[in-house]
Amino acid sequence: MFAYIIRRLLGILTTLILLSLFTFTLSRTVSGGPWMVGAEIPQSAEQIAAFKSQYGLDQPVWRQYLVWLKNALTLNFGVPFSMPEKTVTQVIWDTLPYSALLGGLSALLALVIGISLGMLAAANPHSRIDSAVTLFAVLIGTIPSFVMGFVLVYFFSARLHWFPAGGWGGPINLVLPVIAFGLPASGGVARWTRQCVMEAIASDYVRTAQSKGLTNRIIMLRHVLRNALIPMVTSFLPLIPAMMTGSIFIEVVFGLPGLGKYFVLSSMNRDYPMVLGITMFWALLISVTFLVTDILYGVIDPRVRLEQ
Amino acid sequence: MSTTTAVVRPGSVTKQADFPMDAQSPWAHAWRRFRRNRLAVFGMVFSGIVILIAIFAPWLTPYNYADIDPLHTLASPSWLHPMGTDMLGRDMMTRIFFATRPMLLVGIITQLAGLLVGVPLGMIAGYAGGFFDWLITRLVDLFSALPWYLIVLYLVMVLSPSLQNLILALTITSWVGSCRLVRGLSFSIREQEFIKAARALGIPTWRILTHHILPQAAPLLVWGFAAGIPVAVFAEASLSFLGMGVRPPQPSWGQMLAEAGSYWQYWPHMFVFPSLMITLSVLAFQGMADGLREALDVKMTT
Repeated sequence: MFAYIIRRLLGILTTLILLSLFTFTLSRTVSGGPWMVGAEIPQSAEQIAAFKSQYGLDQPVWRQYLVWLKNALTLNFGVPFSMPEKTVTQVIWDTLPYSALLGGLSALLALVIGISLGMLAAANPHSRIDSAVTLFAVLIGTIPSFVMGFVLVYFFSARLHWFPAGGWGGPINLVLPVIAFGLPASGGVARWTRQCVMEAIASDYVRTAQSKGLTNRIIMLRHVLRNALIPMVTSFLPLIPAMMTGSIFIEVVFGLPGLGKYFVLSSMNRDYPMVLGITMFWALLISVTFLVTDILYGVIDPRVRLEQ
Repeated sequence: MSTTTAVVRPGSVTKQADFPMDAQSPWAHAWRRFRRNRLAVFGMVFSGIVILIAIFAPWLTPYNYADIDPLHTLASPSWLHPMGTDMLGRDMMTRIFFATRPMLLVGIITQLAGLLVGVPLGMIAGYAGGFFDWLITRLVDLFSALPWYLIVLYLVMVLSPSLQNLILALTITSWVGSCRLVRGLSFSIREQEFIKAARALGIPTWRILTHHILPQAAPLLVWGFAAGIPVAVFAEASLSFLGMGVRPPQPSWGQMLAEAGSYWQYWPHMFVFPSLMITLSVLAFQGMADGLREALDVKMTT
């Protein structure tokens, strides 16, 4: 088990270093750069040269990368081009709480609605309830979150004035974004839950339990739920980092000062240190979640051996 | 890592009693089952209409998508402008119709290109094993370390935003899925007896790959192709919404939503039609993909 975790951590490190090598080299070799943004304001060759030497962009790419890598190993991702008074790490810590809160709450909403609907459908297979849930899940799942955001703001903000339309002034600003982001995601959760529970119900051990004369309640709780939980947990845990990174669109719609909004802003300004820093941070978060998921998989399912 | 493996039984029939047991190809069976799925049929009809609109867009309305009309800005829907006009007085319906072009281009080209890259790589990795397998698996891991939209955003940033670069970026991320599917499949087929027999008969490797492994993967790939389209359509809409896809004046539904910006609260027609089109087309392509999965009996286990 210990050796497995060490091996996986080394694998994550390799992937992250390869990813950084790929993204770093690409950003430095493609022509153009942050000094091209706002090209309508003419910049002299001296200004561009001064900008380049300030950020070390006049060095050879391999040396730039080694410097970056050495700093990145201590979680120092440099200074953003667009905000020279801050460090990238500082900006990440300042904006992460908004994204974490938005992503976490949306994932929670998606899980609560999705799992209850999925269980409801699986408990009444091929009934009216089942087809209604399936239809709802497909319809809601195809609405892009930013479209959902527009619709919610139109009714609950512009018409009814119940919630603010955007910006940040307190937890009330999170209500509409969380619904807009969590509700479409609940469709997929409901479908997956239904499938997992249905597969567990159709299995041999349930038939055995029925022929033993156990009540439906006991069968559902002790046999179906426990077995259905395994595939559910392993696919729902990665939902949390996915929701945290996927919030970029919703953060733009609602003007929330989260990590995603800064990612988009920095992308538009070609702020490479910022984009690279956020990218590496997210990749780390996602890889660690996958590792935790795989370990948990072995914990909740004794049949699984964690080797390779 | 959550590696996705898939099991395909192309010829299996779920409800045998429903139709006579005459000799039918697996594809004919699949077509029968596909037709019974109402959402899939809706998806097919809708995408047919969208394709027709994309082809005949210039002749469907008397306006040009880029022509501004300062006297009729922000007009609500009327007989003259069935979907109203935007803040520059451009006819919304013309723009909605022309926006089907980038949507279809992105959806179909990225998935085709993804198959062309992913399938050979996946077959080589799964069948040859060894170093190639290690290399290709590392590459797949690299692209799976981040969600596709982050990679696409990054690539579009580096390459500068345009429709061509969006297609390129989406292609670079879309080969991963089919590569992984085909790798898993050829890995499991490799050890089966008919492949061993073929090898013993001296049939060259490329022929084993194209004649014995590829047909087994075909239903899975058809489904994978179909399932990738709604994702790509969604990607085009959301990136154009962020200003990183289709460039103005060429219209795109996502970009029209972004343009609705500060006007839509008072002129809802500016966001109703683009968002309706995005949602309906994602639904249509998703419905087709779901129908295909059931019809081809593709089983996903994660």
